[in-house]
Amino acid sequence: MNSLNRFLTISTTDPDDTRRRRILNILVVSITALSLLAIVISLVSVYSKAMVWENVALIVIGSLITILGMLLVYSINAFFSGRIAAIIFLVFLTIVFAFSDTPQQVSGGRSLFGFAIPIIMASILLVPWSSFVFSSISGIIVSVIAFSINSVPNSPAIIGFFVIALVSWLSSRSLEQALRELRTINANLDQVVVERTKALAESLERERIEAGRSQAILNSIADGVVVFDTSWNAILANPALTGMLDLPLELIVDKNFRDLIEHPKLSPRSRNLLRAMMEYDTQPPSFRIEWDKKTLSISAAQVYDYTKDRFTNIGTVTVFRDFTREAEVEKLKSTFVAIVSHELRTPLNAVLGYAEMFKEAVYGPMNDKQVNMAERIMKNTQRLLGLINDLLDQAQMEAGKLTIQMAPVRPAELLENLHSILDQSAHDKNLKLTSEIDDSLPEVLNGDGARLHQILLNLVSNSIKFTEHGTVHVRLFSPYRNRWGIEVSDTGAGIPESEIPYIFDTFRQVEGTTTRVHGGFGLGLSIVKQLVHLMDGDINVKSQVDVGSLFTITLPLVIPEENIEKWRIG
Amino acid sequence: MSELALIIEDDEDLASIFAEALRGVGFEVEIIADGQAAQERLQNGIAPFLILLDMHLPHISGADLLTNIIKKEDRFSKTIVIITTADARMGEAYNEEVDFVMIKPISFVQLRDLSSRLKPKS
Repeated sequence: MNSLNRFLTISTTDPDDTRRRRILNILVVSITALSLLAIVISLVSVYSKAMVWENVALIVIGSLITILGMLLVYSINAFFSGRIAAIIFLVFLTIVFAFSDTPQQVSGGRSLFGFAIPIIMASILLVPWSSFVFSSISGIIVSVIAFSINSVPNSPAIIGFFVIALVSWLSSRSLEQALRELRTINANLDQVVVERTKALAESLERERIEAGRSQAILNSIADGVVVFDTSWNAILANPALTGMLDLPLELIVDKNFRDLIEHPKLSPRSRNLLRAMMEYDTQPPSFRIEWDKKTLSISAAQVYDYTKDRFTNIGTVTVFRDFTREAEVEKLKSTFVAIVSHELRTPLNAVLGYAEMFKEAVYGPMNDKQVNMAERIMKNTQRLLGLINDLLDQAQMEAGKLTIQMAPVRPAELLENLHSILDQSAHDKNLKLTSEIDDSLPEVLNGDGARLHQILLNLVSNSIKFTEHGTVHVRLFSPYRNRWGIEVSDTGAGIPESEIPYIFDTFRQVEGTTTRVHGGFGLGLSIVKQLVHLMDGDINVKSQVDVGSLFTITLPLVIPEENIEKWRIG
Repeated sequence: MSELALIIEDDEDLASIFAEALRGVGFEVEIIADGQAAQERLQNGIAPFLILLDMHLPHISGADLLTNIIKKEDRFSKTIVIITTADARMGEAYNEEVDFVMIKPISFVQLRDLSSRLKPKS
């Protein structure tokens, strides 16, 4: 079939020419085949004595001539010109029809219709209007034959030739028109395909460059980054991660995270944390895991894509940070804090106890000087203990380990404790330490008793420290329904206005030099402020040099549930 | 006969100060410096009048001694239990479970006055 197709097709640059030459070839081959058939049938009929040779000789000779003519047409068509081949073919066909029957039949009878064939074919094999040329030729031939037998030319037949030519011309022209349009459409389509292909190639190239840049950025990040799709398959990871986990990239990328967390290097606790991370749809906070001997800090964030006016979750990006060193330092720090807290305080407690025993004359009478010395030892030891407590608190606050624990607290008890500790110091300096509780304050409120005590102790001992004569007054009150406050006022040295913004800073005292006069690290007020903030409260100070200072703290007022009824009735 | 006060405290100096305070008001004092030894002694059928228990001890913690023995056995139902700790939070947590909580640093005078009030008048 393919070879037949090759045999029939003649490739040229003009698609119309190619089409016409192919049709001509088909006709040539068909006619050749028919002629061969005619020869075979004639020979068979002569051989079978159905016919005599004289009767079929003309058919055989005619067929042979036809075959030779067709070979000629095919050769011209194939190697020279389709147009000339077509003209020869059509002229040959017309001549064959002119002599195919008796002159009577050709000019006015049954054989007239034969001329219609070259007329129709002309419009297909040549340009459409050539039908008219062949209808004219046919008309002339028919007329000439009619005249030759002294007959009148068959005018309806000649008009019929022209009608056939007209129809052929019209149909052939519209066929060619349709083909031309099709070719234009095809050409446009080809152009579009070319353009689209080019655009696609460009965008792919851009994407490649973009991806390359992103990959370069990703590769240079010191933190391990891994991106998961919504079913926790790792889409991409960077080299820092493989270094951190000591795993090749192939064991991470294109693998499901659920498989990775089964790795034996991961501690069971960490495995549970990671499982929890995968289960919660909301953005999980950062947390730490133990991988082999490393501590890794993990933070994960959902990735959203904004399409069709809404956000769609397309996965999770997880950042791993090597936290081993920090974790070690933190551990050292809390160990240090624990050691200091126990190992320093215990011997100081012993010093304090022995000094007290001296003072109390447990082992026999002491003279005044000895008692005084014991008192000095006690006082200094207590100061040292206070400083250690301040340092520990500061360290704990820096580590974020100091937490506020709420429980029912009695304001009156806070003041009692304060008096029991500081009355003596105030008395020693000839100061009056007074206190009051406003009626507005409930009897019991929620608070961290130990930390409130610490705040009061720090503020009041600070006031005592900086006041040489007069009064230190403490007032507990409730300015409005959901707040309560602590006010500490003194008639002391006061604070210069320029120093007020800095008095709550860590390791700072007014004028920077007073440390030596008054002692201490200057941590007291800083700790007070941090504690107040931890309790969601505010602290303010008003002061006038040589007149005194007023510290005001306000805190959220929450009444313990079991006391609410009582408070309302009361 | 004087009442027995058991001091369970691993720091030698503190133990001796506490002992002095308690002896001063007339208690018979026994000092144990180790959690393991304290456990053996407590399981030995004694019923002291007062136990001064440090929460941080070697081998067995004061907290364990408190929950596993002192709070469990009827023998100690009349014993006055005072715990000592440097951790104010821990002290608060045990406030309801024991008779007294003393936060370190503990004053000699404070302990002497407290135990003096506790001791039955003879």
